[in-house]
Amino acid sequence: MAFLGQEEQIREFQDRFRYLYAALFIALGILISRMVFLQVLQGDRMREWSEKNRIKRVKVASPRGMIFDRNKTLLIDNRPAFDLEIIPQYLRESKQTQQVVARLSKLIGMPEKEILDTLERARNQPSFMPVKIKTDLTRDEVAKVESWRIDMPGVEVRQEIKRTNVHGEVASHLLGYIGEINSAELPIVNKTSVTKYELGDGIGKFGLEQRLERILRGVDGEELKEVDALGRIKLDSSKGRVPGNMESKPAVPGKNLVLTLDQDLQLAANKAFGDHIGSVVAIDPRSGEILAMLSRPSFDPTEFSRGISPALWNKLLTNPNHPLRDKTLQDHYSPGSTFKVLTAIAGLEEGVIDEKTTFTCTGNMRFGNRTYHCWSKHGHGNMNVVSAITQSCDVFFYKVAQKLKSVDQIAKWSNLLGLGRKTGIDLAREIPGLIPTEEWKRKRFNQPWNDGETLSVAIGQSFVLTTTLQLANAYAAIANGGTLYKPFIVKQTETYEGQVIQQTKPELLSKIDFPARDIALVKQGLWGVVNTPHGTAFHSRLPGMDFAGKTGTAQIIRLSADKLYGKCETWKFADRHNALFAGFAPQENPVIAVAVIVEHGCHGSSAATPIAKAIIKTYLQKYFPDLYGEKVLAARLKELKAATPPKPVKPVQEEAEDIVPENNERLPPATELPPALPPRPAVGPADLPELEE
Amino acid sequence: MTHSWTESPAPIDESTMRMGMYEEELRKFNWSLLILEVILFAVGLMNLYSATGVQDKSMGLYKQQLIWFGIGMGITGLVLLVHYSVLSRVAYVIYFANLLLLVAVLVAGKATLGAKRWIGFGGLRIQPSEFMKLSLVICLAKYFENDRTVGGMGFRDIILPTLLAALPAALVMLQPDLGTALIILLTFGTMMLFLKIKPRIILAIAICGAIALPVVYQFGLKPYQRQRIVSFIDPMADPKGSGYNSIQSMIAVGSGQLVGKGYRKGTQSQLNFLPEHHTDFIFSVFSEEWGFVGCMVLVGLYLAFMLNGMSVAYQSHDKFGILLALGIMTIFFWHIFINMGMVMGLLPIVGVPLPFMSYGGSSLMTSLVCVAILTNIANKKFMF
Repeated sequence: MAFLGQEEQIREFQDRFRYLYAALFIALGILISRMVFLQVLQGDRMREWSEKNRIKRVKVASPRGMIFDRNKTLLIDNRPAFDLEIIPQYLRESKQTQQVVARLSKLIGMPEKEILDTLERARNQPSFMPVKIKTDLTRDEVAKVESWRIDMPGVEVRQEIKRTNVHGEVASHLLGYIGEINSAELPIVNKTSVTKYELGDGIGKFGLEQRLERILRGVDGEELKEVDALGRIKLDSSKGRVPGNMESKPAVPGKNLVLTLDQDLQLAANKAFGDHIGSVVAIDPRSGEILAMLSRPSFDPTEFSRGISPALWNKLLTNPNHPLRDKTLQDHYSPGSTFKVLTAIAGLEEGVIDEKTTFTCTGNMRFGNRTYHCWSKHGHGNMNVVSAITQSCDVFFYKVAQKLKSVDQIAKWSNLLGLGRKTGIDLAREIPGLIPTEEWKRKRFNQPWNDGETLSVAIGQSFVLTTTLQLANAYAAIANGGTLYKPFIVKQTETYEGQVIQQTKPELLSKIDFPARDIALVKQGLWGVVNTPHGTAFHSRLPGMDFAGKTGTAQIIRLSADKLYGKCETWKFADRHNALFAGFAPQENPVIAVAVIVEHGCHGSSAATPIAKAIIKTYLQKYFPDLYGEKVLAARLKELKAATPPKPVKPVQEEAEDIVPENNERLPPATELPPALPPRPAVGPADLPELEE
Repeated sequence: MTHSWTESPAPIDESTMRMGMYEEELRKFNWSLLILEVILFAVGLMNLYSATGVQDKSMGLYKQQLIWFGIGMGITGLVLLVHYSVLSRVAYVIYFANLLLLVAVLVAGKATLGAKRWIGFGGLRIQPSEFMKLSLVICLAKYFENDRTVGGMGFRDIILPTLLAALPAALVMLQPDLGTALIILLTFGTMMLFLKIKPRIILAIAICGAIALPVVYQFGLKPYQRQRIVSFIDPMADPKGSGYNSIQSMIAVGSGQLVGKGYRKGTQSQLNFLPEHHTDFIFSVFSEEWGFVGCMVLVGLYLAFMLNGMSVAYQSHDKFGILLALGIMTIFFWHIFINMGMVMGLLPIVGVPLPFMSYGGSSLMTSLVCVAILTNIANKKFMF
């Protein structure tokens, strides 16, 4: 080892400095290259990322189209509601979570545990997705939460426009409800829709809301907001900081619907129907416009659009009366006596009877080895087609059935009037009902048609099943002389500003060329039901307003003969008869046709007819005040009274039911419900109707 | 601040105290490093003001930094009063005193973010690990002052100096402060290379290092430190987690583009996307707001500072002076390179402050004292 002097060593050190300088410049070169790379070459991209960081695209929900009745009365509106959400991402430490939750619990009056549980449930979703803690905050709560927001990172109040049914439970089934789209529906709907759905978006789930989702739904907009790293929106951020190439997108509202419904009529129907179970349909026979549509029991759609509670949902599901089913078209019943007009039409058109044909009713009739009874034990005497309809004489229609070649002839005319097939209304899950034919029975049960069954079919029993909508539409066709329209509910669609986009035109389903004489006979009979003392609905007549129609009472369980003579009202509720009424008004140039079914209402005349009466009265008075206004009516009645002194009217037997006990071994009915619906209820027309008035 | 300093009778030395020469001394005085230091600090303070305007824990900290600078300037004045050769005499005392402080930190230190780095002195909180870098350089300069080895150091020659560096590095690692430990080792390594080691020793160390690296990675590092290295290699593997800092910092730097977003308009820092934006990531704040042009100016300032410092070392007339100045410049170099490198995603995230820019009293104080010593060396070179 050699030793050097300090000077030499210093000189040697100085020699080595060039390495140091080289190292320094290389290092600086590396750093500068990196700056060039990041700031110059990748600058645009980095700038974009930094913008994405701070600019939050806040979705602006588009208002859903509103729904109006035919007179532009608002039925479904969008009203603001406030939801509280937490974005779990911003609650990084458990201590922070506790603080925020504790504070929040005080502010919104919700137990801490409940908030934590909600957060826990959302654990498996990405942490940047907001978790809804509470819906429908009060204004007070909103103010409280907002004022504490700086201390509660990740807590947000989200304003949402909530679907509100202005009148509550009115036409709930028809209007339907919306709900949040779920993860199972998402891929399915996104396959077909142009603007994609996201979790949390509302979507129509029932009724028109579902059916016309495409029309009602708008296009969501976007608003650009500046946020900090904790996601808090900067309130003071000036517009200048949102770059020009990232523009906000305004929300496009959905289109409005104007329905054919009349809200006053709907309310009148609601009121008249009370707490009964069943359904009502009112149609304009001149076009097929649905004027009122009611199904009971029902639900409040607003509850759904704000996130229904599991308890309430459960209650709706387990209710034996199926509040979630639209009984106007998703449930079918034995039409009972309301079907007799179809038998009459079949008889008249097939030429087996005419206006001169009379049969004598002795109260029963032998056919084969059985006795078929009329509801009037002592018989109606000589009956022609008009009086048979008016007095609902069973024997007359048995005889007609006997004369007809086959049940297929009844089926033919029923089908022409829209029974046994879907009306085609643009609503979900309509069922076709059932009009039996010989072939049908062979196929269904592999058994030949039994002629005795034709007799039962003739009075609307046996396998015959109709929906309330079908019944109303068939009566509308009878009322207008044979034109069957496709019922419709949407009168027009409009833009948000009220500009008409599309108008529904009445659609003809079939036009039957009834001889005027035949239709007049049937209508005369129907008029008599309500307006002559022997008519089964004489109690519900509207003096001065001649409405016509047919009552029906359909037995729903098989009863022993002696029990059948008992009073229906004293029976167990589920065993009581279904009450029906189908009719129209006025007799000449009818403007409304109505069908009513009251489940377990006992008697068509006492339970169903008054409801139809209330609807008809409301409608006529509202739309034809110069013909049926209270004053006009009073004046006309006075005139009538003066002209014809009142005759003492023989009171009609309130209700007399007769039975057809021989029919007991009939086959079980075919219930053909779409698979989407829950199983049929134990009650309802599961057993064959055997009862007539 | 600087003005008041220039009036103080700084460059006084017995050997130079001749009447009529005083003004001459003042004229010949090497101001360059001090001036660069003041400029860099001014830029740093301005930048810190922007970074600490953010509504978070850093708010208003620039004032604190200004106070530290004032204290540091006072110390600078004191350092200039004493000939730097005094440091040679007390080198080991300083070194061991600092070691003791490091031990004290581990025993009675204050913890922040899970690491014990601070020790309280009255109301002051100091970070002995920052001073350790300088203490080690002084110690090594002293150690090699009288070394006469020629043709490179052998294995035996490096054992003791290695121990001198490894001891504080190990203590700092225990805090744990990976960044500072790294700076200590890198500074030591650079100085040793400069002092020349036999090539085969370098080769042996390189091989040992290559073998030891995985072992150290597996057993020597804490999980979070390992995570940092993983996320350095692939920051996008966990962009919201361990890769977050690195990504956000790169975005900040890059989004400054050519001329920056404007003073106090850096969204990454102002909206808190940048972590630790007043300390380790201060350079991101600067790059975001001043862009490539600003960065070039800053790099230019640092380059001027480095060149000036190195020329002090180069022109020093004694070995202690050369090694001391060189060691100090090595500390600065590694700080600048590692900090900028990690901020721009070139190096893993290790907590290393950027001299004169990052907030931190101990760090700033160390830098100021370093510059004071350099200036001292620079002004003594003619008085040999």
